Amino acid sequence: MTIRQIHSSSAEPAGRPGPQPPVAAGAEAKPRLDRKRWSGRSRRDFVVFLAMALPNLALIGIFTYWPLINNIYYSTLDWTLGSVSATVVGLENYVTFFTSEDASKVLGTTAIFTLVTVGGSMVLGLLVALALNSKVRGTTFARSAVFAPYVLSGVGVGLVWLFIFDPGYGVLAWVLRGLGQQSPQWINDPQLSLVMVIIVYVWKNLGYCAVVYLAGLQSLPRDVMEAAALDGANSVRRFFNISMPLLSPTTFFLLITTMLSSLQAFDLIRIMTPLGNGTSTLIYEAYLQAFGAYNRAGYSAAISVILFAILLIITVLQLRFVERKVHYS
Amino acid sequence: MRTNLDRRHFLGLAGLGAGAAALAACGGPSTAGTADAVDTASIDFSGVKPAASIDFWTNHPGKSQDVEKAIIGKFHAKFPDIKVNLVTAGANYEEIAQKFQTSQAAKTGLPGLVVLSDVWWFRYYSNGSIIPLDGLVKQLDINIEDFQKSLVDDYKYEDKQWALPYGRSTPLFYYNKDHFKAAGLPDRAPATWQEFAEWAPKLKATSGAQYAYIYPALAGYAGWTLQNNLWGWGGGWSKDWDITCDSPQSVAALQWAQDTIYKDGWAGVSSKEAADDFAAGITSSTISSTGSLLGVLKAAKFNVGVGFLPGGPEAPSGVCPTGGAGLGIPSGISKEEQLAAATFLKFMTEPENTAAFSAATGYMPTRLSADMSAVLAATPQIKTAMDQLAATKVQDNARVFLPGADQEMAKSAAKILTQQGDVQATMTELKKTLEGIYTKDVKPKLKA
Repeated sequence: MTIRQIHSSSAEPAGRPGPQPPVAAGAEAKPRLDRKRWSGRSRRDFVVFLAMALPNLALIGIFTYWPLINNIYYSTLDWTLGSVSATVVGLENYVTFFTSEDASKVLGTTAIFTLVTVGGSMVLGLLVALALNSKVRGTTFARSAVFAPYVLSGVGVGLVWLFIFDPGYGVLAWVLRGLGQQSPQWINDPQLSLVMVIIVYVWKNLGYCAVVYLAGLQSLPRDVMEAAALDGANSVRRFFNISMPLLSPTTFFLLITTMLSSLQAFDLIRIMTPLGNGTSTLIYEAYLQAFGAYNRAGYSAAISVILFAILLIITVLQLRFVERKVHYS
Repeated sequence: MRTNLDRRHFLGLAGLGAGAAALAACGGPSTAGTADAVDTASIDFSGVKPAASIDFWTNHPGKSQDVEKAIIGKFHAKFPDIKVNLVTAGANYEEIAQKFQTSQAAKTGLPGLVVLSDVWWFRYYSNGSIIPLDGLVKQLDINIEDFQKSLVDDYKYEDKQWALPYGRSTPLFYYNKDHFKAAGLPDRAPATWQEFAEWAPKLKATSGAQYAYIYPALAGYAGWTLQNNLWGWGGGWSKDWDITCDSPQSVAALQWAQDTIYKDGWAGVSSKEAADDFAAGITSSTISSTGSLLGVLKAAKFNVGVGFLPGGPEAPSGVCPTGGAGLGIPSGISKEEQLAAATFLKFMTEPENTAAFSAATGYMPTRLSADMSAVLAATPQIKTAMDQLAATKVQDNARVFLPGADQEMAKSAAKILTQQGDVQATMTELKKTLEGIYTKDVKPKLKA
C-alpha cells in the first residue's frame, strides 16, 4: 500500500453502524478531523519524526529544563553549597533578597550596566557602521578590526584592559601623569569600577552591532534613497526619515540580542572586578552568593530565578510592544 | 476515550516528562534533616589498602608548581604503588574552594588531597566535607609534635585535627633599601606605624616613587593584612564571636590609615597585587605575604629589605596574623583514597620537603626539624619570616570563620581607603553585616 493509498483510505469517514448520539455540528467535526490526521500519518513518518526530534528534546530537557526546574527547587532551600543537607524555606530566599539593601543596589547596577552597554554598543555600532559603509580605501581592514574584539576571549580582554586602567603602571595612568594628573582609582573605587567595566564591554561588543548594522545599511533599497534625494531631502533627513525606519528590524534584533547578552555578562566582570564591588549585576551576584565566598546556594538560586523572570518579561514585552514599531518592508 | 498524539501533544508530553525527570532527580542536598557532621567513629583505617591513584588539588601557592612536581616525583620513587596526579584546581584559594564545593555538591570528582586556606577549612569542617586526621596521624605515625605548634593548632577544633599546615605564611614588611638609604633612614623596618609616619614624607620626597607605602590590594585579602593596623591600635574585626570592628580602637586605626592617603598623601592602595607594585618600584614599602618573597626578590631591580610588621600605639608587637594554606582530606571519597592521600600528606610535610617548598616559595617551613641552613644561606630574608612566627597572633574569628566576611571587609576598606567614606559609619554597617552572617550561617552550626 502506498502512502497515497493510505491517505486515500484513511480519508474515508469512519462511520459506525447504528444510531449516533446527537452532537453539535462543531463538536462532531473535530474528532473526525483528529482521527483523520492521526490515522493518516504513516508509521515510517512517525519514526523519522521521533528520530529527528527526540535527541534534540532530550538535550534541551537535560541541559535546559532540568537545570531550570532544579534551580527553582533549590531556590526554596536554605542550602550551604557543599553541605549534604538543606532546609526547605519556601519563598524566604526571595523575601530576603527583596527586603535587603542589596536588592536595590544589585537591581540598580544591573539596570545601569544593561542600559548603558546596550545603548552604547548600538549607538556607537551604528556610527561605526555608517563610517564603514562609505566607499573609501581601507574599509575592509577597518571592518575586520572593528569586529575583532567581539570574537576575542573576554578573559584576555579583561586582563589587558586591567593593565591599561591600572593606576600604578597602566597606560592610562602614564598618559594622565604626562598631563600632570593623578589616575583615578579605576579598580578600587566601586563607582569607577562600573564605568571601567562598561567602557570595556562596549568596546568589545560594538563591533557586533556595527557589523549587523552594516549588513542592514547595505540592504537598504537604493531607489528609495535616490528618490528622496531627487525630492531634495538632505543626508540627515534621509538617515532619520528613511534609513532608520528601514533599519528598524535590525535595531529590534540588536535590541533583543544585546540586552539578553548584557544581562548575562559575566566574564569581564569576573576578571576585572572579582569582588563585584560596585559591579555586582544580578548574574554576578548569583555567582558571588553561591561560589564567591558566601556559599548560599539556595539564595543564589533565587536570584537566578529572578533574573530568569526579568529576561522572560523583557523578551515578551519587546516582542509584544516594540515589534509593533518595526517596519519589515 | 482515545487520545490523539499530534506534534503539539507530543512536545507537551516531552516537556512534562523532562519536568518530572528533573523533579525526580533533584538529588542535591537532603532535606530530611541529615546532619553534616562526619561520622568520626567510622574512620578506622586498619586493614585498608591505599588506593592506586589520587588527585592532589592545588593552586600552587607561591608559584610552587615546579617544587610540587619535584616532591611528587620523589614520592613516586618511594611509593611506586600510589600515583599522585597534580591538578591545578584554581589560581587562588577561592577558585580551589569553588571547585571543591561544586564537586562536593555534585558528589563526584573529589580529590584525595586538597589545599585549603585559613578562611575555608572551617567551612569544610562545618559542612562535613573533610575528615579529622587524628586516626590517620596515629596509623601513619605522623609526628605532630614536630610541626610548628601555632601552625598546626590553627586547624584544631573540638579536639580534632582537621588539616595539616602546608603553604603557611605571615605578612612581611617589604622595603626598598635604596629608597631608605637615599632618605637617610635606618636599614630596617619601622618598629611602629608612628615611626613610619615620620619617615614617610622623607621617603616620598627623595625616592621618586609614587608612594612611600602602598596598602595591599583590597581584592587580595585586605581583611588579613589590615588586622595588623587594627591590633596595633587595640582593636580588631572581632573578639571571639563579638564583632568589634566598630569599636573606638578599630575606627581609630582605620581613620589613621585613611589619613595617610587623603590627609598626609604618602600612601596609596594597590589595585592588583602590592608585591608586584613594590617590585615595580611604584612604592618604597608595602606589606605582603611571605609567599611573595621569592617572586619579589627575583623581580625587583633594587635591594629588597624585609622586616616584622610595625606595631601601633596600643600594641607595639604581636600584631602579625598567620595565614596561608593547609592540606585536608575530603570525606566523600573511599577509605582507600583517604589512606593514599594521608600517605602523600605525610610525605609532603616531611622536614626535607617542607624545607624544599620553603626554599622555592618563601613560605615558612612547617616542621621544627626542617634543616633550613642551605635555604637561609641562599635566601637569608626567609629567616625574618621564621623569626616573626614567634610574634604572630591567631586571626580574628570574624575573618576566618564567617563566610564572605573577608569580601565584606574588603568592600568596607575600599569605601574608607578609596572613596574617603566615613569610617565610623562604614564600620557600623560592616558590623551589622558580619553579625547577620554569624547569626544566619555560623551560629546554628556551632556546637554548644
